[in-house]
Amino acid sequence: MELMKSSDNIIQDRTQQQHKQEPEMQAQEGQQEQGHHFHVLAVDDSVIDRKLLEKLLKVSSYQVTCVDSGDKALEYLGLLNNLDSDSTASSSSPSSSSSSSSSSSNSSSCSQSSQREGLKVNLIMTDFCMPGMSGYDLLKRLKGSSWKDVPVVVMSSENVPSRISIRCLEGGAEEFMLKPLQLSDLEKIEAYLLKSLHLSCTNIDKDDDDNNADHNSDNNNDKVVNNDSNIDKGNNSTSMNNNFSKRKALSSEDTESRRPKIKGLAVAI
Amino acid sequence: MELVQIQRRLVDYTKSLFMEGFLDAQFLQLQQLQDDSNPDFVFEVVSLFFEDSEKLLNELTIALDQPNVDFKKIDSHVHQLKGSSSSIGAQRVKNACIAFRNYCDVQNIEGCLTCLQQVKQECYLVKNKFETLFRLEQQIMASGGSVPTTELGF
Repeated sequence: MELMKSSDNIIQDRTQQQHKQEPEMQAQEGQQEQGHHFHVLAVDDSVIDRKLLEKLLKVSSYQVTCVDSGDKALEYLGLLNNLDSDSTASSSSPSSSSSSSSSSSNSSSCSQSSQREGLKVNLIMTDFCMPGMSGYDLLKRLKGSSWKDVPVVVMSSENVPSRISIRCLEGGAEEFMLKPLQLSDLEKIEAYLLKSLHLSCTNIDKDDDDNNADHNSDNNNDKVVNNDSNIDKGNNSTSMNNNFSKRKALSSEDTESRRPKIKGLAVAI
Repeated sequence: MELVQIQRRLVDYTKSLFMEGFLDAQFLQLQQLQDDSNPDFVFEVVSLFFEDSEKLLNELTIALDQPNVDFKKIDSHVHQLKGSSSSIGAQRVKNACIAFRNYCDVQNIEGCLTCLQQVKQECYLVKNKFETLFRLEQQIMASGGSVPTTELGF
């Protein structure tokens, strides 16, 4: 598929990975290498739209998980029982003290850690209008959680007033898309996924033990810089700061291309 | 009937559904998503739609029959039906839902009742159309042929 081929080229350029994978190959290998099989979490209360979205994504060689509500999405991501979602699993999880008493709960109860171990979600696509928790509510919860760096796309079956779509964008959504989605819309999604891949390569991922080439080189650079120069020390005292400022630079560069074109409205950047 | 003739029939029939407004481009999208790994995809989605719409239409009938009509609930159901009909390309059902919601907005019960009838009628009609379509496809498959892809002038 053309879509896959183009993303193949970009990923190979960025991460210098040599492998070629058939689109049919399943995601495990791909996920570890953050390569060809992005994992999308789709949230929609309509069974038909879930089926459609799942198919669209699978045809585009993404791995898909579908849930039918915002609550289920939070549960899946391990956010449901944690009020303070920014903390990591090891420091704040209430289960750490009771882990000995509930032997079965550690593996099955995702809700007790703020981030499920090993769970990788590259993109969240959510319907806007859902009973109970709306897509906007879900968006806010996500952006206030440890999953805040995962791009979120909000979808709606109708042309909602721009104040609503802008609200979503201001709330941190990458884009507001009209349903029914088409294969051509998936190309936009690919762009967000690739962006998230690049971000995760330059971020320190606190929970991640993966060897990431960029990550390692950043650490090494910082050590060199700190030893050699006081000036740099101020700016780059931790590799985390270094990466945050890299992220900021990225976002400001990308802002213009990221901003979806809203008809009839000038988006001030 | 010869395979080629059935295939011809299917192509013509499909075209007519587009011409008459029963189906729109979204249905083409559905067909494009169907492949060998999931040869019944369109059938499955369409079937899901009719299961879903039957439930919604029943709910709507009940809701409009209440002494105090809950228009918010009705709007919600119609919104759902509009969304799912739009997702499968059932254009006339979708349009009937749009009209329905307009009457709902102004809380016009008579208008809503009329619209409900129209939506039911459109669902019934398009259901028959789909059944014919799938029957033709099955005939083609049974004769060892492949279903021609829909190509339209527009």
